[in-house]
Amino acid sequence: MIKNLSLQDLRSRALELLDQRVRIITAGMGLKELRAVMRGDPPTEKPNPRYRVHITSFIFHIRPRYYQQASTWFTHTFRLGYFTTLFFIIEIITGLILMIYYVPSPSEAYQSILRLEGNVAFGSMLRDLHRLGAEAMVAFAALHMLRTYLTGSYKKERSFTWLTGVLLLLITLFLSFSGYLLPWDQLAYWAVTIGTSMAESAPLFGNEVNLLLRGAPDIGAGGLLRFYLLHVVLVPLLGIVVLSIHYYKVSREHNISLPARIEEGDLPKDVKKEATQRIDFIPDLLTHEVFLACLTIFAMVVMVAFFYNAPLEHHADPQKTPLDTKAPWYFLWIQGMLKLGDPTLMGVILPTVIFALLFAVPYIDRNPYRMMSKRPVAVTLGLLFVAAVLVLSYMGTPGYGIETPAAIRIVQDLAPEEGVGALREISFEQLEPGIYEVGKTDTTALPPELGLVFIEFERRVNEAEEAGKLPGVQAVMIIEDWQAGLKKVTPRIIWSDPESGDQKTFEKHIFLHRDRGLGGE
Amino acid sequence: MARTQLEIFIGLLLVSIAVVVVIYVGFNEENRMAEWTLAQEAGAIEVGADLFEINCSGCHGVKGEGIPGLAPPLSDQFFFTQRLQEVGWEGTLEDYIIATVSTGRSVSTRPDQYVGGGKPAMPAWSQRFGGPLRDDQVHDLAAFVLNWEATALGKAEISELPAPTPGAEEAADPVARGQQVYVRGGCAGCHAIQGISAGVVGPNLTQIGQVAATRQDGVSAEDYIRESVVNPGAYVVEGYQPNIMPQNYGEQFSNQELDDLVAFLLAQE
Ligand code: HEC
Ligand code: HEC
Ligand code: HEM
Repeated sequence: MIKNLSLQDLRSRALELLDQRVRIITAGMGLKELRAVMRGDPPTEKPNPRYRVHITSFIFHIRPRYYQQASTWFTHTFRLGYFTTLFFIIEIITGLILMIYYVPSPSEAYQSILRLEGNVAFGSMLRDLHRLGAEAMVAFAALHMLRTYLTGSYKKERSFTWLTGVLLLLITLFLSFSGYLLPWDQLAYWAVTIGTSMAESAPLFGNEVNLLLRGAPDIGAGGLLRFYLLHVVLVPLLGIVVLSIHYYKVSREHNISLPARIEEGDLPKDVKKEATQRIDFIPDLLTHEVFLACLTIFAMVVMVAFFYNAPLEHHADPQKTPLDTKAPWYFLWIQGMLKLGDPTLMGVILPTVIFALLFAVPYIDRNPYRMMSKRPVAVTLGLLFVAAVLVLSYMGTPGYGIETPAAIRIVQDLAPEEGVGALREISFEQLEPGIYEVGKTDTTALPPELGLVFIEFERRVNEAEEAGKLPGVQAVMIIEDWQAGLKKVTPRIIWSDPESGDQKTFEKHIFLHRDRGLGGE
Repeated sequence: MARTQLEIFIGLLLVSIAVVVVIYVGFNEENRMAEWTLAQEAGAIEVGADLFEINCSGCHGVKGEGIPGLAPPLSDQFFFTQRLQEVGWEGTLEDYIIATVSTGRSVSTRPDQYVGGGKPAMPAWSQRFGGPLRDDQVHDLAAFVLNWEATALGKAEISELPAPTPGAEEAADPVARGQQVYVRGGCAGCHAIQGISAGVVGPNLTQIGQVAATRQDGVSAEDYIRESVVNPGAYVVEGYQPNIMPQNYGEQFSNQELDDLVAFLLAQE
């Protein structure tokens, strides 16, 4: 028997077996077919095995077999929905790993982040990736909404897709917001305290919502656990469900819209024909998507390795309200609105109205046309909305519209409660002990870095005096050796109050350790 | 090359670069973690310094030098080399500090050294034992106290500033002078006055100027305060034990100092 088997037979038999295995793994595409795909050749069998994949594979059955050429133009979608999905997946993977190290209790949460950063290889990178991915997801979801608005892709049969989209935006925002609390630092604690107190000012049920979220009148162990569970279980699950519905509508029912000018424009027949030609998912679009995934991974890795650092402030302290509370950038617009008026109106009612309007966009806008030139009102309103959000966000930045007493502001800018600031950037050796008085100390005699900061201090103090905010001001900066490797800097500003004429003093004690600058904060 | 193939090629390239970057980061991780931990410890010392100034300096002195009759030094050689043996503590000094500060001392180990026999010597500081501080803050305080080791053992020297001369106005103002007496005399360790001190052993004195007038019928606010300082046992505030506040301030202060102190307290309304 052995004799009958020639080497060739053996080879073809082996290939056949291999081919079978490969077909099982690729859900229908054999070796020859794979080769053809790689080389850009047409399908090798009939019926087209590349379509069979869409039937037999779960992952691919969600995806359409082919698209119309023009709906895949990059400048039509910018792949924003795809990127958002990608970030969602990255969040799920990095988030699952973070769960190994994180402990959701007020006494342990902050410590567990410290351990992650200082004791786990790639811990800091992991945290940066998760944080950057979250911010990117919010940004891309918002841009994706803007794109579908401008291309008029929410009209008619796509109105339900839009509705689930707005839901997804809310879910994305809440996902980010609930994650924001978890490190339990000052940044987290106060941003979330402000956020939930907005809920508290809601009419009728505000107090109940607030209690439900926080688990107690103030955020504590109960609130942290609730936010944690929302963040890792409920909201992601909701997200997956709603995203499935959202995408099912796109892929199974009405495809990605064609660019409006192809659908409605006055174009020659053959241009339209070419634009509506089929383009198969496998291999063209699949390789493109994998390429975009590679690009995203590359960009994220480079970002977190060299440029992006997830912030971590001091341990949360309910007793110590920070001078400058910062909402995450995607909520600055609400903070901006809060500065304009009553918290119930600005923090609850208006945002609710805004989102209700967003939900209702397809039902309000009855104009059947999708081309921008045929819907000037909608486009103008849309752009005005974007402009308003940007302006409100600017107004929401900490400095805007809030008068901090001059002396406090000067010292805070010099050495902020959180973060670095000019004073902490002076190298330790240059913090020469001494008493330096504005207007009397010869700045040229100071070590250069200290000199520059002192000149800035002097400038700010004089500026405030000229503006009448600090009449008769006397300002000193005292630098003392405090311990080995520790110095104490005391900026002290004394002035007479413009109204009462009383003498007032503001001083702050800032301790600076030699090793503080390490660790790339 | 067709677009698909170009994309496969560039995609592979990008992923390879990403892998190289990850490996590069990996080689730096040991270093990064070590530096990060050092910076974190430095941050703990900074926070601890602040907490010490607010909560502890009133008893243990601004630079941990101790205040006779009130609290022992925490920055001297004895504390770093012999104190553990003296009390028979088996663990590390850090553990000792954290344990002592967390639970406080209801009875002094050196009763003869403290006014009132050192009962209670030091209040509990950890929230777990009814104090005001979180455990991470107690940890930061310990990091700060431990950082005195180098100077205590003479391994490092630090410079002293010439004592700041009080401004002319300050010297002329009895209330300002009284505030200095208040801080120097150690009152700040036991009493709270908003913006000045945060002691919790004795009553809050933020409004003592008003309260004093209502304490005893027929006794003016000024007389009551003077009496309270010189002879604390004469009237014991409800809810507090007698003999905790030192009884010898009358001998310790000059008449001038006492007048200034009373003026300062009267001004707290
Ligand atoms: C009310 C005054 C008072 C305050 C305020 C106070 N302590 Fe004490 N502390 C004492 C006394 C008294 C002792 C000595 C107890 C003894 O002798 O057993 C002591 C002992 C200690 C010890 C042990 C010293 C030794 O030699 O055994 C440490 C450490 C300490 N304190 C740290 C602190 C810290 C940190 C704070 C601030 C959070 C603080 N103390 C605040 C009164 C005070
Ligand atoms: C070891 C802790 C301790 C120190 C140090 C201390 N006190 Fe007291 N003080 C107390 C306690 C406890 C009381 C309440 C019991 C009493 O009335 O004797 C009190 C009561 C007082 C009262 C009366 C308060 C009232 O509400 O009626 C005044 C005033 C006062 N102290 C001033 C001072 C001054 C001034 C100093 C510093 C020179 C000082 N104390 C130092 C513990 C202290
Ligand atoms: C988590 C957030 C979201 C994800 C993951 C997501 C995902 C997607 C994906 C993958 C597509 C396919 C087309 C493309 O890539 O552009 C799509 C289409 C669409 N999305 Fe979203 N989306 C999200 C949020 C939103 C939001 C906030 C809106 C608007 C309110 C929205 C409205 C639409 C519409 C109308 C389409 C159809 C577009 C067309 O046919 O041209 N989506 N979405």
